[in-house]
Amino acid sequence: MSEDSLLGRLYKDDEIIVEEGTQSRTMYVIQGGKVKVVKSAKGSETVLALLGAGDIFGEMSLFDASPRSATIKAVGEARVLAIEYEGLLKRIKMDPTLALRIIKQMCQRIRDLNGRLISAQRTMHHTSDTLLQLKKAEDVRIKDLEPKIITIVTQLQEKLHAITEQYVHQGESLHEY
Amino acid sequence: MGGAKVTLHDGARVAIIGGGPAGSFFGIFASKLARDMGKALDLTIYERKSFVTHGASGCNMCAGVVSESLVQTLALEGINLPPTVVQCGIESYYFHTLDGSIEIKSSRLSQRGIATVFRGSGPAGSVAKGIQSFDDFLLQKAIEHGACVKRSFIDRVCMEGDKPELYSGGNMLQDCDLLVGAFGIKAGTGKMYEDIIPGYKVPPTVKTAQSEIELGSDWVAHRFGHSIHIFLLRIPGIKFASVIPKGDYITISVLGKDPKADHIKAFLNHDAMKKFLPSGFKVPEKFCHCFPKISVGAARKPFARRTAFVGDASSTRLYKDGIGSAYITAKAAAHTALLHGIGEKDFREYYFPTCKSLNRDNLFGQFLFAANHLMSVVSPISRSYFNIVRCEQKSLQKNTPYSDILWDMFTGSRCYKDIFMRTLHPWWIIYLLGAVVIYPFKKAVFSFINR
Repeated sequence: MSEDSLLGRLYKDDEIIVEEGTQSRTMYVIQGGKVKVVKSAKGSETVLALLGAGDIFGEMSLFDASPRSATIKAVGEARVLAIEYEGLLKRIKMDPTLALRIIKQMCQRIRDLNGRLISAQRTMHHTSDTLLQLKKAEDVRIKDLEPKIITIVTQLQEKLHAITEQYVHQGESLHEY
Repeated sequence: MGGAKVTLHDGARVAIIGGGPAGSFFGIFASKLARDMGKALDLTIYERKSFVTHGASGCNMCAGVVSESLVQTLALEGINLPPTVVQCGIESYYFHTLDGSIEIKSSRLSQRGIATVFRGSGPAGSVAKGIQSFDDFLLQKAIEHGACVKRSFIDRVCMEGDKPELYSGGNMLQDCDLLVGAFGIKAGTGKMYEDIIPGYKVPPTVKTAQSEIELGSDWVAHRFGHSIHIFLLRIPGIKFASVIPKGDYITISVLGKDPKADHIKAFLNHDAMKKFLPSGFKVPEKFCHCFPKISVGAARKPFARRTAFVGDASSTRLYKDGIGSAYITAKAAAHTALLHGIGEKDFREYYFPTCKSLNRDNLFGQFLFAANHLMSVVSPISRSYFNIVRCEQKSLQKNTPYSDILWDMFTGSRCYKDIFMRTLHPWWIIYLLGAVVIYPFKKAVFSFINR
């Protein structure tokens, strides 16, 4: 792939394209390479998604003008085309169907989030059932089990984070939008 | 029959005459929308030319620049131009005048947002260079969406029955529910449709001169970079010339009154251009050049019952973004046909406003290009303008109205009306006139001090 013939701007490995909390109304389309969507909390980074060529990101701030909800970083070298806000609005005014693909992608993400939410709720129900069974079986108070639960959850979090990082570095898609 | 509502039903046959960008875009968008509506269309694109051949036979003869706005729009449509199609990603424009050169970058986005492409698979002799034709790329997209491509040349269209009938070499190939004219500005084909479609008249055209010169990718990258170079040199017969880098080649596009091969040679031999060419470069006796026509106006009544004309056969933006106009008209016609119907009234009510909007905008474009030409021939004004732009380019974070006007005019990033309205801002005019008056005064003072 000739570097001369790539469109957009080149970002180096781990370079921040969009920073969480900042104000900007530009959206992006990936032309080459991969980027990761990350959320930072208490010094640790959770990868929410890995996006590849053709994927769109940053579209939420187009509509609600809110600060960026997550940080987007390049995974390896990535070339990303920025879509200018004012020009896009003018084009959508002339041809509203242009927004359809963005809307379709947002619908897909809502479906995906619903799926994750249902999965999380199932896990919670499963955990509460297990705890109740444990309480009945061992006749202990739930409060007494708290340190044990915290240890299990922390271990799970660390395990998940390690798997996610491994996927990202292997360049495999965790979630294709 | 004439007034009955006609629509594209499930399984309707659509014949598209011409497999250039306009024809392919129509195929893509009609197919996409039909699928969303739960319909299937029988789409056939008739294109005699094979875009995978090298040289003139596979080329649609155009400067081959995909504008900033079209690159972004296509990306939003899910059509991302691959590196095999993009010959060079453009990030700036250079303007060369007799008073010097200036580079202009977009103040809005810092990126390579404009693509240079070959419409065919490259000039003659470029077989091993792995160039993918832009037109072929779009045609393949249309095929992916379900269109079928036939190499027949449609030499007769019969409109006697309710449905158009297509003939080639005396044989009837098919009838169709909808006929889409996407044949560009081919005079012969246009005349055929003028004879059979009441009221249709092809748009007026002007001749341009174009040439591909091979200089090698290193030289092109080193001397021309990721920039399109516009030369306003007051060469007799040339309004302006542009040089577009494309890998191993540069494309030279000359706009003027009846340009000829001699005009290209005169441009290549001009001192301002010579410094961009290898030392000792001589214009070869035989070099790849052509004189394609470009549309500079609007077709009259680009629609009829069961017929729509798109792209250059309909309306296009003045001097700029012909491929972008093909996208706009093809998509508008496809959506009209599927969402509203294929009767004359449907096209007049829902498709024609898009054409009229392009045509109205071109009136502003005519004024802007006339003003630009005037400024380029009046030295004090062009010198002052470029001085202001040069200052603006030093700090792109600030407001850069003069640069933005040039950028938007030559890149086709904004509609001409939008640019025109900005030039009417009183402060814009006052500041420019002030600079015109002050510049000679400053020059006189400095020369007096330095004496």
